[in-house]
Amino acid sequence: MVIDLDKCVGCQACVVACKEENNVPHGSPEEQRSRREIFWHKMIAVTRGKYPHFRIELLPMPCMQCDHPPCVTVCPAKATFRREDGIIMQSYRRCIGCKYCMVACPYGARSFNYKAQEGKPYHHQDEPPDRKSWEPWPFPTRTQGVVEKCTFCFHRIDQGLREGKKIGLEVVPACVEACPSQARTFGDLDDPQSPINKLLASRASFRLREELSTHPKVIYLSR
Amino acid sequence: MEMNYSTINGTSRGYKILMVFLGAMVGVFITSFLVAYLKGQQVWGVSNIIPWGQLITFYIYFIGLSAGAIIISSLSYVFRKETYEPIGRLAVFMGILLMIGAMIFVMVDLGRPEKAWRLFMYFYLNNMSSLFAINSIFYTGYITLMLIYLWLIFEGRKRLAVVVGTIDVLWAIAVHMGTGAIFGLIGNREIFFSPIKPFEFLMAALTSGTSLIILIAVVTFKLTRRVIHEELIFSLARLLRIIILILLVTVFVDKLTHLYFPNREATLYLLTGDYWWVFWIFQIGMGIGFPLFLLTWPKTKKSIGWVIIAALSVVLGVFGERAALVIPGTAHPQPFFPGKMEGPWGEPAIFPITFWESILSLSIVSLVVLLFVLGLRYLEILPEGRAEENLEMK
Repeated sequence: MVIDLDKCVGCQACVVACKEENNVPHGSPEEQRSRREIFWHKMIAVTRGKYPHFRIELLPMPCMQCDHPPCVTVCPAKATFRREDGIIMQSYRRCIGCKYCMVACPYGARSFNYKAQEGKPYHHQDEPPDRKSWEPWPFPTRTQGVVEKCTFCFHRIDQGLREGKKIGLEVVPACVEACPSQARTFGDLDDPQSPINKLLASRASFRLREELSTHPKVIYLSR
Repeated sequence: MEMNYSTINGTSRGYKILMVFLGAMVGVFITSFLVAYLKGQQVWGVSNIIPWGQLITFYIYFIGLSAGAIIISSLSYVFRKETYEPIGRLAVFMGILLMIGAMIFVMVDLGRPEKAWRLFMYFYLNNMSSLFAINSIFYTGYITLMLIYLWLIFEGRKRLAVVVGTIDVLWAIAVHMGTGAIFGLIGNREIFFSPIKPFEFLMAALTSGTSLIILIAVVTFKLTRRVIHEELIFSLARLLRIIILILLVTVFVDKLTHLYFPNREATLYLLTGDYWWVFWIFQIGMGIGFPLFLLTWPKTKKSIGWVIIAALSVVLGVFGERAALVIPGTAHPQPFFPGKMEGPWGEPAIFPITFWESILSLSIVSLVVLLFVLGLRYLEILPEGRAEENLEMK
């Protein structure tokens, strides 16, 4: 995924879209104060300088889906693993809730379920009631006591692949779809001909905390 | 000369009151565990920023105490120092109980404790590159070794006890260094990340273990009207002084490494931020400075009362050392992007001390004490009669 910070307007539609798509619960004010709200996709604001000569960077931060993920190394139960296509997944059935991955994640991408969340599909009245049609994502159940994180909307990708659609053009994660300024591009980094690689070749880009050599697959184009 | 050991009678009034209190704490343990299990960990102080709280602090603390106790027991059973014989069995027994306590702490801290068996499915369902999985080998082996060790001591098979004891001491060192590696290998947390962390853990384990043995030996011998040989306490105190010095050097080197180069924000936060008191007052003051002073000053180092105060200070101070690692280590925000991060993502998190978490920790400590008292009642742990007589008989 490539995020063009020049185009990003900081509307946080991606944050909301992610919450809606994956039924990530909105934390109560108390939970927000105690830092227990679940975020799969967060937005941070970084300032430099003093008013009037200063600059704000707004950085949308999904899970970076690192190529060398520290969370996978430290997980004792194989609950978080790297899929063949590079997406780092979290299996709630295997997760024992030791929270080691949250300590080891350099990007704060992981959240813990501190309570049993309401499972009602409140944002999906338009979905058909048959849950089988939402495969393989067991939407919208959540498990108390496990760690969860962004999945790059793997359910969309898998369904798109099954239907033979083009990933990155016809099928994109919810945050990419929701972006009003089309700052986000999704595609196959392995394919040198893909639009995402052409875009990367055309602009100066950076990744977060590159000094840790985690090789994030979320790449930012600088302003 | 053989030393005779005996059980305690358990007929006194104080014993019964203690048992009733500890029994009630078992009920508290079950209740507080079920509350956290059914309502979720929202009743604790942990958050997405500080995922490890009181229970993990207690867990590494107890493992340290256990490893320290076993290493001290080796003075009696491996190195055959006769001075330490009255506390030999006590030390091994404490090692087992503290390890069991540590295991209860870490199991209870899991979000889904019923799935903990996955940790033991080596190479099949678990990930052997994780230090938790590696440590689970260490921990199970450690408990088994300690049980064999204690059994051999009870049976009086001293030759074999030397062999098993030697393996057990080496294993205890591995156990505790492995626990230190859980933190020391995490490269994205500046306060954790340090190659010297396992050694620091080992030294902290030795100081706290020795001090706890001094305390427990004095308290149990006093309460069961046994006389403890003062030379035993003083020689442990001399040992303690040396280990505290080594600990001081390790802590100094660790902090110096983190402070010397400009990427020192997290360490500065530890030293001057919200949790400065945990570091300076507990870890440095009570864990190192104050006891080191008491054990070096000519007047205080010869007084049994001051040595006990020094031991108590170390036991509390090393707990502070664990807390100063676990909580500020994750509380400081990670630098996702250069510049000043605004809003909650850029602010250090605060770890609230909550009722259910504290009561759960205290009840697990009480559970360990209960097992300890029951052990004294039914196993021959303490030396018979007056310890001084026993020593003179040799």
